Amino acid sequence: MSITFEKVSHIYSEGTPYEHLALNEVDLEIQEGKMSAIIGETGSGKSTLVQHLNALLLPSKGKLHILERTIEAGTQPKGLKSLRGDVGLVFQFPEYQLFEETVLKDVAFGPKNFGVSEQDAIEKARKAIHMVGLDSSFEEKSPLELSGGQKRRVAIAGILAMDPKVLVLDEPTAGLDPLGTIQMMELFKELNTKYGKTVLIVTHDMEQVYRYCDRVIVMKEGKVHIHTTVEDFFHDSKACKEMKILPPSMIQMCDLLRENGFAIPEGIHHTSELAEVIASQVVKHG
Amino acid sequence: MALIEVKDLNFSYDENTHAVKDVTFSIEKGLYCTIVGHNGSGKSTVAKLLAGLLEKKSGSILIDGYELNEENLKVIRNKIGIVFQNPDNQFIGSTVRDDIAFGLENHCVKQEDMDELIETFAARVNMTKFLDAEPLKLSGGQKQRVAIAGVLAMHPEILIFDEATSMLDPQGKDEIKRVIRDLHKEKDLTILSITHDIEEVAKSDYVLVLDEGKLIMEGTPASIFKNEQKLTDTNLDIPYAMKLKKALEEKGVLVNPHITMEGLVKELCQLRLKK
Amino acid sequence: MGNFTLGRYLPLDSPIHKLDPRAKIMAMLFTLVAIFIPAGWIGYGIIFVVVSIVIIRAKLSFRFIWKSMKPMLIMMIFLLIMNILVLRSGDVLVSIFGFDIYTQAILQTLYIVVRLLLMVMITTCLTATTKPLDMTLGIEDLLKPFEKIHVPAHEIAMLISIALRFIPDLIDETTRIMKAQESRGVDLKEGKIKERIMAILSLIVPLFVSAFQRAEDLANAMEARGYAPGEPRTRYKVLKMTGKDWFFVGCSILLLIGMIVLMRFKV
Repeated sequence: MSITFEKVSHIYSEGTPYEHLALNEVDLEIQEGKMSAIIGETGSGKSTLVQHLNALLLPSKGKLHILERTIEAGTQPKGLKSLRGDVGLVFQFPEYQLFEETVLKDVAFGPKNFGVSEQDAIEKARKAIHMVGLDSSFEEKSPLELSGGQKRRVAIAGILAMDPKVLVLDEPTAGLDPLGTIQMMELFKELNTKYGKTVLIVTHDMEQVYRYCDRVIVMKEGKVHIHTTVEDFFHDSKACKEMKILPPSMIQMCDLLRENGFAIPEGIHHTSELAEVIASQVVKHG
Repeated sequence: MALIEVKDLNFSYDENTHAVKDVTFSIEKGLYCTIVGHNGSGKSTVAKLLAGLLEKKSGSILIDGYELNEENLKVIRNKIGIVFQNPDNQFIGSTVRDDIAFGLENHCVKQEDMDELIETFAARVNMTKFLDAEPLKLSGGQKQRVAIAGVLAMHPEILIFDEATSMLDPQGKDEIKRVIRDLHKEKDLTILSITHDIEEVAKSDYVLVLDEGKLIMEGTPASIFKNEQKLTDTNLDIPYAMKLKKALEEKGVLVNPHITMEGLVKELCQLRLKK
Repeated sequence: MGNFTLGRYLPLDSPIHKLDPRAKIMAMLFTLVAIFIPAGWIGYGIIFVVVSIVIIRAKLSFRFIWKSMKPMLIMMIFLLIMNILVLRSGDVLVSIFGFDIYTQAILQTLYIVVRLLLMVMITTCLTATTKPLDMTLGIEDLLKPFEKIHVPAHEIAMLISIALRFIPDLIDETTRIMKAQESRGVDLKEGKIKERIMAILSLIVPLFVSAFQRAEDLANAMEARGYAPGEPRTRYKVLKMTGKDWFFVGCSILLLIGMIVLMRFKV
């Protein structure tokens, strides 16, 4: 019951001079229960890919299996609405989708659209607000009074209240400060480990991918270029350099140390481990 | 006298909260200065106050000896250029050419001189090829480059970047950072960059750290990062070399503070030779 | 968005594209006035031929013109039916379901429809051959004489050009918010009235919030680059009327005079 893409292509404005092939026969299987990062240059098809997951976009060619549903090009799929409840998609800068007078009402908006009763929707909203780390004093506040980071949390709660099995986030930390970014990523990790959600994150930030994600999907020119584990991907900085992206600081440091004659084994994941390795190779002061 | 002199600056958006509180600092001509602090710390407010886009509540701002007030506003605006965060919302013209022309028009530059100026400034940010392109056809990084060209055309002495790279992809960020560095090197410009990019901070000449509207630290990057505890207390990032230094200390290896990885590795190499 | 042709600029290379925007705006105004002169079918025929020549010279396809009329069609059909049912003059032509339809009503309605179609044709000619920015420059220049009676010509032109500049951005933004709300289960196509109202609110409120943000950013960016309304500024693009432009305007004036003469003859 996972998510698979079978030769999925997506063409924008087909048959017009603006025609654009955004996805080109993508084959992909997304593991359930994992936290995956989708990376790639602007225009590589990341956003188009994720919008297929809740059928905002339908494939021009090929077939998708999403949580027991099949979406095939050329057919009008059924049960789209329930799919949108199962796959929660959070757009970039989601704070711009808030519109209700209070935080609680806004978060309850999603579940109500799925026919949940007023009472239950409020209940679900309360739970979701708690899940994103906001206390109950926020419930009656207007979304407009909140800080940028808090607004974003409310927007994410609005998706979580629909109780999705899969959570897809398009650049969720864009524009946040370093602390806000870490808090946000910790939240997703918790949703993944504690609440068992499958999490997919579109991002440019390798530091976060390295620190929080399990798997990496690299998009390039409308195709899945690489799909592997984070360990394998950041094995060394080669893959990053090939894609002209800055590898995580720790990988950069390991490389630099190796170049300077240090013996740094593979598979180091924490700065403390790296410090340990270095300590064994240098003279200690004091 | 320094190029920018700010004394006891205060500002608030509403009665209850102080966005900027008793901020005093001065910046010498030609420095590349970075301003850090988390969102809501008052960084952008300080930038807007300097550019005369907001009116201070009390205190004084002196730019190149001119007091920032109603009377001098125009003179000071000519000295300061500011590039904002959102690439779309500062693109005023319908093409790159028109956008650069917008500022020239405001400064009553003669029409027959404009084309040459537009081309000069477009060339400086490497956008000559896109002069007739519409904003929809440009990437975020390209739009920010146009914004920089538009600001440069005003011949400012001070360039303020208000998180100008935060909405860009890695490629766009690199482009803009390179343009800023080149401008700083080639022209006698004073740069004020509001940023979250800790590597950019590490490479700057002077750092201002703001927290809840107050200036809590200022100095060279080396001196700022030395006070690592205070930085982490205010939830600010530190360069990786500093993090590793701390981890090494826990393992009993004592090294000097370094801002760059290269510096740290160099010292570690020496320590290894001693073994 | 790709099907939206009303008011869209088509970047082609034609003699009409090269005309001064002021000439085109003036010619459009004269022709519009000409349309409203009751010069009968011969008059409309002449206008149609003249406008068709302009369309051909401008390298526009009639399919493009037809497409830009489409959004108006529903309105026209509605007008047509209303008029036919309401107007009661002339002889009864037929009687359907107890409604009498009069000959005069049909004739008058046809006049209105033809006028509307010609209007759309003419305005499309203008918008498809004139860059939005040139259009605003043209409007600004034409409004200049009215500055004496405190018409803020420059401000109006600036307002229009900024609006035009941000329309594509706002369309993008709308699509984005729509998709975001659809992801929250909003169904913009069906549902009870209360649900539909909520759906529309969920779209409009965020659009307003972001539009205000945009406006604030833009105001800052403009001010920072030395823009102050009411203060003197130079202009990068300067318009120049040439012989061809005057000829074009002259033709439209002739057309107008022609219509007046025709009307006289009829009377």
